[in-house]
Amino acid sequence: MRKRTPLLAGTAVLATLGLAACGSGDGGSAGSGDGTIVWDMWAGSQSDTDALNETLEIVEAENPDLDVRLQTAPWNDYFTKLTTNLSSGNLACVTSMNGQRLSTYADAFEPLSDADLETAGLSRDDFAPGALDIMTHDGRLLGVPFDVATMLVYYNKDLLEAAGAPEPENGWTFDDFEATAKAATTDANAGFAVGLGEFQWMALPIARSGQQPVDESGALALTDPSFVDAATWYSGLVTDQQVALPAASAADTGWGENQYSGGNAAMAVDGTWNAVSYLGNDAGFDAGMVNMPAGENGSVSLVLGSGYGIAKGCEDKEAALQVLGSLVGKAAQDAMASSGRSYPARAESQPLYFDSLDASVRDEVKATFDAAFADVEGQRSTTTWDQVNTALQPNLVSVYNGQAEMADVLEQTQQQFGE
Amino acid sequence: MTTTSPAGLRRPGRSRLSRVESRQALGFMSPALVGLALFTVVPVGLSIVMSLFHWPAFGERSFAGLGNYVELFTANPDFWPALRNSAVFALLYVPLNLVVALSLALALGPRIRGRGAFRVLFFIPVVTPIVANALVWKMLLQPQGLFNGLSVSLFGVELPNFLADERWAMVMVVVMSVWQGMGYNMLIFSAALEQLPAPVIEAARIDGAQGSRMLRSVVLPMLSPAIFFATVMTVITALQVFAQPQLLTGGGPGNSTLPLVQFIYNQGFKFQQLGLAAAAAWILFVLIIGLTAFQFRAQKRWVHYEH
Repeated sequence: MRKRTPLLAGTAVLATLGLAACGSGDGGSAGSGDGTIVWDMWAGSQSDTDALNETLEIVEAENPDLDVRLQTAPWNDYFTKLTTNLSSGNLACVTSMNGQRLSTYADAFEPLSDADLETAGLSRDDFAPGALDIMTHDGRLLGVPFDVATMLVYYNKDLLEAAGAPEPENGWTFDDFEATAKAATTDANAGFAVGLGEFQWMALPIARSGQQPVDESGALALTDPSFVDAATWYSGLVTDQQVALPAASAADTGWGENQYSGGNAAMAVDGTWNAVSYLGNDAGFDAGMVNMPAGENGSVSLVLGSGYGIAKGCEDKEAALQVLGSLVGKAAQDAMASSGRSYPARAESQPLYFDSLDASVRDEVKATFDAAFADVEGQRSTTTWDQVNTALQPNLVSVYNGQAEMADVLEQTQQQFGE
Repeated sequence: MTTTSPAGLRRPGRSRLSRVESRQALGFMSPALVGLALFTVVPVGLSIVMSLFHWPAFGERSFAGLGNYVELFTANPDFWPALRNSAVFALLYVPLNLVVALSLALALGPRIRGRGAFRVLFFIPVVTPIVANALVWKMLLQPQGLFNGLSVSLFGVELPNFLADERWAMVMVVVMSVWQGMGYNMLIFSAALEQLPAPVIEAARIDGAQGSRMLRSVVLPMLSPAIFFATVMTVITALQVFAQPQLLTGGGPGNSTLPLVQFIYNQGFKFQQLGLAAAAAWILFVLIIGLTAFQFRAQKRWVHYEH
């Protein structure tokens, strides 16, 4: 047993060394250190990756002296990976960020001044009104948006026609919404599909109550009486009015959207980012879209979107800014718009998005986008916004299945995260 | 820990030779030791340190003492349910898995023709990726899935929303896990059954033992080392369950199928509280070690080794 001492001592020394090494890794040296600018972005499919590679070619053509490397991960894993990269101080110099999640990751980004924008070859006026709010947190600009989005109600024209339900029109009201949902509900399909994702479900309660679940001071306000009422009405679409089916599993994050795109529900709420994929849906139905119905306080909808930020501690900020400038530059934004992938944040590129659409739907989509973006407000969020939604999601399933009350779930979540 | 040198016999003082030898031994061991330290000791040590800190994924860390543990047991709304869910899962899964696996192994006994093929069939779920398994099960179980479709069209009976109903979700996670995991234990039991000493069986037979009597008094006692091994391993995997609920139910509805490991994952990677996650992981570790130690102690009462 005596021989243990050197072994233990050796292990202890090694352990200490290891700990010391871990402790010194906090500097946050971003990038790979060999002059390469890493661009981190989400991509869920080969076509996403192909599109990003095209953008990469534009960036490289505009910055021939820079070496840019693209890294991707699927949407859901992207933020897990980001967290891991952050904790090991390995954030990519140019990191994509979704506006709704910005508050959680705000500390990771370098605030951008007007001088920085100039270095990137950009100006605030390049972007559509309200677009820069997407990447602004606490009054600081933490990135530059590449797309803007808002939530729409998508509907299945074939199902509505078959059921003889009134077709929604821009500027409709919640009474119209209920009438359509009821009329479109048949034995074979539901009139509406409830969502589990954050704004896929919250957009209608927000529009109905005219109230965001975060107040103007930035505090969580899930228990605001008018929001609770509107949210209760929303879950009542399943439990009381029975115009929507309860979700099948909390693991189905895209429940409502999948029900709609599979032709099982006549209406669903989703972002403008999916407009093109719904228009060309696999199930082969005619898709239509309208803005959020108006409640007693008018129609309130939020401007959402994503952008690129510069990681704090990026070794070559200047080069990163140049890459950033090209990523949201005219050429890249025009390419994104005319492929119909996303509605660009750069104002002058926006019309190209509609040009990419089939002539038969172009005017309708443009009219809906104009109506939907006409009166949007910036989305407020808390530092734990992402966690609030993670916590809400499995509970929504209980609510839709009639095993919990919406008000109780909101109350609980408010208690857990509201401070 | 013991040396081969005779120096160990002379208690007072060590000979020069043994000291030289031990240093040499340390030299030979060092590559393995570095690996062990780097990949096991340091991470384990670091996770203890982590569990004592408020350790967000990024941003300021601060010392919390036992604060994380206190928070888990007193304030966190999901921790007790997660412990309960892990316990419920283990209590349902372990006996069911063992009974099913043992029955299959006995049923596929030496007189069945083509038993190799059957064993492969039952083993397939173990080796297919669990993500694919879970997706298929989800498609079967959802209201628009096969089971409900058949039930409605054949009997006109609407089945419950299995994965979204608080009373059913855990049951379905267990059922799917048993289907997925039984093949492994079945192989262990099959191997043990094939190696039962023929003379003992024969002697029992001559003494008139048959059927259930044979099973209870001869086969099971002789299988007990294999059953013990399978129990220990199954309890450990049951407490570590993650993929099935994550993919099938997302821990929901509410937190009714959220087991401890998924709780740890959520805390660490979704809520970004690595300190809290590390603390919960240590509680899980203590739980597993405790249960395993208990099983090793209790084995003296029921496990029969031949020699």
